[in-house]
Amino acid sequence: MASSSSSTAADSSAMVTERRGIPGAQFVEDVQNYLAQSGLDVHSALAFLQERLQQYKVVEMKLLAQQRDLQAKIPDIEKCLEVVATLKSKKGTGEELIADFEVSEGTYSRARIEETDSVCLWLGANVMLEYSLEEATGLLQKNLENAKASLEVLITDLQFLRDQVTVTQVTIARVYNWDVHQRRIQQATATTAQDS
Amino acid sequence: MQQGGASDTEVTWEDQQNINKFGRLNNRFHELEDEIKIAKETCDNLEDASNELILTDEEVVRFQIGEVFAHVPKDEVESRIEEMKSVTSEKLENLKEEKESVLAEMAELKKILYGKFKDSINLEED
Repeated sequence: MASSSSSTAADSSAMVTERRGIPGAQFVEDVQNYLAQSGLDVHSALAFLQERLQQYKVVEMKLLAQQRDLQAKIPDIEKCLEVVATLKSKKGTGEELIADFEVSEGTYSRARIEETDSVCLWLGANVMLEYSLEEATGLLQKNLENAKASLEVLITDLQFLRDQVTVTQVTIARVYNWDVHQRRIQQATATTAQDS
Repeated sequence: MQQGGASDTEVTWEDQQNINKFGRLNNRFHELEDEIKIAKETCDNLEDASNELILTDEEVVRFQIGEVFAHVPKDEVESRIEEMKSVTSEKLENLKEEKESVLAEMAELKKILYGKFKDSINLEED
């Protein structure tokens, strides 16, 4: 008896309903109840669930791209920190740092870097600022920590998302199996009715 | 004549959580395999580098710092490479340990899930 309640049956147990814009997948305790409460027939329910799955996939692609960007950014910041640290260690020794650097792809030249108190940092958007070695280290360190923290949050988001995808896939399988089961029962009753 | 796959076993919230956990562990397992491969390569490269160092008779070596190759005395390069080697091999050890524990947890979950669902669930790599 399908009661046509416009349901958002948040029936079950401790479950997060959404996380940072990603809707949580509702866990279905009982397929029959779920279909009754949502007032959907099997095909519509499966269509709805499939669409949800696609939406999740789209979000997953986006998050994975962000994760790749962050994972590339972190070693870059660490390299910058290494260079600044090397410049700092050369200070006070009176020595120059001789380095071979890439002028253009495949072409290298030699540079003599004298003792210096400052270094220029590329901030993006065609902006470069000069900082003292201390300030530069501080800024780079802060950027590194922010990047690592963002990566943590992103990874947790991805885990949440993947869980919702799994729940949705399992629900799709269960609704489908329930339907197959129902049809089989109906066929069995139909055959026995015919035989009698 | 019940065929496998159309079983009546109900999926509880606990089962769902186990399935989710298995999925997460499986993802982490693949990530770890990739990370271990990279760490092994780095270890090998460092090993090759330090072998080359022993063979060379130059006093000054071009050592990559950031994007440039700085001229660094051979001794300093040696100690830097040793340090990088120990950091990387420790990282490799930790990764391998984590991989072992992930595999063990996955085996546990497989036992539980196959126990309840038998043929209705497939937890193997395709």
